[in-house]
Amino acid sequence: MIVRWLIGLLLAVTVAGCGEKPSPPSATPGVPNAQNGIASEKVLRITFQTAETGFDPVKVSDYYSGVVIAAIFDPLLTYDYLARPAKLVPNVAVALPEITDNGRTYTLKLRRGIYFAPDAAFKGQRRELTAADYAYSIKRFLDPKNRSPYAFLFEGKIAGLDKLAAEARKSGRFDYDAAVAGLETRDRYTLRIRLNGTDFNFSHVLAFPLVGAVAREAVEAYGDDTHAHPVGTGSYVLKRYMRSSKMVLEKNPDFREMIWNAEPGADPADQKIAARMKGKKLPLIDRVEISVMDEAQSRWLAFQRRETDIEYQLEELAPKFMTADGKLKAEYADAGIRMDRSIDPEIIYLFFNTQERIGDDINPLGGFTPEKIALRRAVAMAYSVEDQIKVIRKGQAIRAHYPIPPGVAGHEPDFRGGIPHDPRLANALLDKFGYVRGADGYRRQPDGKYLFLKYYSTPTERDRQFDELMKRAMDSIGVRVEIRKDRFAELIKLANQCRLMMKHAAWIADYPDGDNFMQLLYGANAGQSNSACYKSAEFDKRYEKSRQLPDGAQRNKLYREMTRQMEVDTAWLLTDSRYRNVLLQPYIVGYKKHPVFAHEFLYMDMDPR
Amino acid sequence: MLAYIIRRLLQFVPTLLGVVLLVFMLFNWIGGDPAYLLAGKMSNPEQIENIRKQLGVDQPYIVQLGIFITQIVTGDFGASWATNEKVSAIFATRLGPSLTVLAPMLIFSTLMSMMMAMLAAYWRGSLTDRAIMIGCTVGQSISILVYIIVFQYVFAFQLGWFPVQGWGQDFITNLLKFSALPIIVGVAVSLAPDTRLFRTFFLDEIHQDYVRTARAKGMNEARVMGVHVLRNAAIPIVTHVMIQLPALLAGAFLIERFFSIPGIGREVLLAVERSDFPIIKAVTVYVAVATLCFNLLADILYKAVDPRVQLK
Repeated sequence: MIVRWLIGLLLAVTVAGCGEKPSPPSATPGVPNAQNGIASEKVLRITFQTAETGFDPVKVSDYYSGVVIAAIFDPLLTYDYLARPAKLVPNVAVALPEITDNGRTYTLKLRRGIYFAPDAAFKGQRRELTAADYAYSIKRFLDPKNRSPYAFLFEGKIAGLDKLAAEARKSGRFDYDAAVAGLETRDRYTLRIRLNGTDFNFSHVLAFPLVGAVAREAVEAYGDDTHAHPVGTGSYVLKRYMRSSKMVLEKNPDFREMIWNAEPGADPADQKIAARMKGKKLPLIDRVEISVMDEAQSRWLAFQRRETDIEYQLEELAPKFMTADGKLKAEYADAGIRMDRSIDPEIIYLFFNTQERIGDDINPLGGFTPEKIALRRAVAMAYSVEDQIKVIRKGQAIRAHYPIPPGVAGHEPDFRGGIPHDPRLANALLDKFGYVRGADGYRRQPDGKYLFLKYYSTPTERDRQFDELMKRAMDSIGVRVEIRKDRFAELIKLANQCRLMMKHAAWIADYPDGDNFMQLLYGANAGQSNSACYKSAEFDKRYEKSRQLPDGAQRNKLYREMTRQMEVDTAWLLTDSRYRNVLLQPYIVGYKKHPVFAHEFLYMDMDPR
Repeated sequence: MLAYIIRRLLQFVPTLLGVVLLVFMLFNWIGGDPAYLLAGKMSNPEQIENIRKQLGVDQPYIVQLGIFITQIVTGDFGASWATNEKVSAIFATRLGPSLTVLAPMLIFSTLMSMMMAMLAAYWRGSLTDRAIMIGCTVGQSISILVYIIVFQYVFAFQLGWFPVQGWGQDFITNLLKFSALPIIVGVAVSLAPDTRLFRTFFLDEIHQDYVRTARAKGMNEARVMGVHVLRNAAIPIVTHVMIQLPALLAGAFLIERFFSIPGIGREVLLAVERSDFPIIKAVTVYVAVATLCFNLLADILYKAVDPRVQLK
């Protein structure tokens, strides 16, 4: 009896499960359905590999939250969809900012008649976007209560804003009504931003997707739950939200008129996109369904079953669908699948702590005397970046030669680093500077003391591979290395205290300007983003000068000199920048990965199958 | 009975206190400082201090421990440090998906294991018994990860009987469409160890005098096995099931991750990755309380199943 009941139940479950097979794209409600002749809505299904944090622009720093935020909120400026390197264009501003007063004053005029998406916070009234909304949104970054991870974008930059933040720290309340000299709304549609110093590249901050306008009424209405109630003027609204699992975006019914008008370069693929998309009213996709799928295996199978339309997070599975020369395997290309391949605007580097002491201990790698620089250089020469790319990245990365990656203003494609992978030369260098080998085969410091280096990493499978490469490199030059493991948060803490001797680090562009990368070596940023705690008067002098200049030949010259200076001092070994391989179903139209923003679906279309 | 329950409830207090102290020490000594994770890519000491102050981790340990205990007493664990979502809301929304998968999984695996164990025990030493035991040994030797990957690949991807992953909006769709394959995986994983364990329970009973007496009195085999043996073997089976029940609250994080089920197990894993202490605290305390409660319930059920049992 029980057996029969069980079999019956199992069959029922199985049959029910089979009843609705996840059928291939015919189930895609997103495209005109040839069978019934009705043009149903276009639905795009994409995935996140890690759960989002939430959608309050000032409170997040993760990529995935940023994707949704970029679709919901409007920054003043944005980037051309196709132009590379990324090119600034107006978004809700009428034009690019008028920069006066030697790069200290930015004046922007907003387009009229842009409205926030309807929301209960507006009590049934249409709510127009004004310059005051941007002033309010910028102030929120420095409100201590919001503990914004991107406060550094505005800290110390806007006249009067830091004073207000300091008062808020004392009183516990940020006075949003207080006038800030640097945030002047001359009229309803004009915003004038006064900076504390010259900065010709501040426009990039105004195009940063998290610097979109929020409505004060909405923020105040939703209090501590602003993460779940994003209200913006962007192309989409958040229709359904199941935290850490599913987000559904739908076209904003009140979205302003936006026409596809990107500028294609010489690339035929870009021209093909432009020919297909030029002049179309955006957005073309009605609904975007985002599912959080933690496991690469699930994402890969779901994509092949056409349960998803775009997949871009399969680095570890790349050999399954790519040939060794970086092309899509024929079996997938024949099925109509396409691949968009680009290099992420990031650099990975191995940094060496250049401070003479780490806490109370003498740092054997630190300092700028010839033998210390020789030791750092020998370590850099012993480490095989080629093996890192081949073994750890599985070929899905390129060698980084310059601190500014491709696609970012200031990148020098022809620059070649002066630190080769050459363990023989590294050994000779150490011999020359008195690092003699002891009876145990390991080298001593020039003063005869034991030489121990410490390399830090997290206890993950991927970092274990880095550990092995580092150990092999150090063995090749007879230097004893201790691999120290700690949790990610603790490593950040130690880095901020300048207590890490050696570690790999990564930096991805917040905005596509060289300054975002060169600041990683600026002395004043030691203990913040400058994990090597590198302090070079020569470097800093040039960096400070570069900040006074707009993107161009003069600034690039300074960047080259700074890079050479860093190499001479060997504060870093630049290693690689990773490829981003995006797989597209055959019916996806107009996709091209943008180096900065991640809501490409605003500029895309979908064909019928 | 009432005195026994009260006594057991009082014993909860020192046990829970131990759990609280252990979790608190582990988080503070092994867990990372969450302020550095929340501060973003570039932060100065002032910002770090501001975050520590807001989270309350700048307070002396004794004060933090006091807050933790107050939270347990009031049942209010505050909000997630990472997302600001109320911990109570996290439980309210994530427990449902976990239970949708895990409750049927536990029911099916227990019933099927009991059936197979009874068959194996009844025909002990026969080909049926050996086949079941060999199957169990092999099944038990395979990692859950292999079950998940193979079942997902074969039944969802190759055969297309189920979706590869996903979760819908209504209970019926979730139970019949999205949970079916995860349930089958879960049943397949627990079937082998449960069958082996339950078989020993049945074997302990099957040679007892009362069974011989029942047979001597001419009782048919179905009644001997289905009533007498099953009833007595049920006591350790109930214990085993009760021990497993608290795990339902913690979810099955691997199954939830691979099948994108928005359950509590996945949330716990995320909380650990983010050093999100309010969630870690709440889950640990709830699981500890549930374990204690279900153990007490198991003891009370003994009494119901076997009146000879005395609760002292």
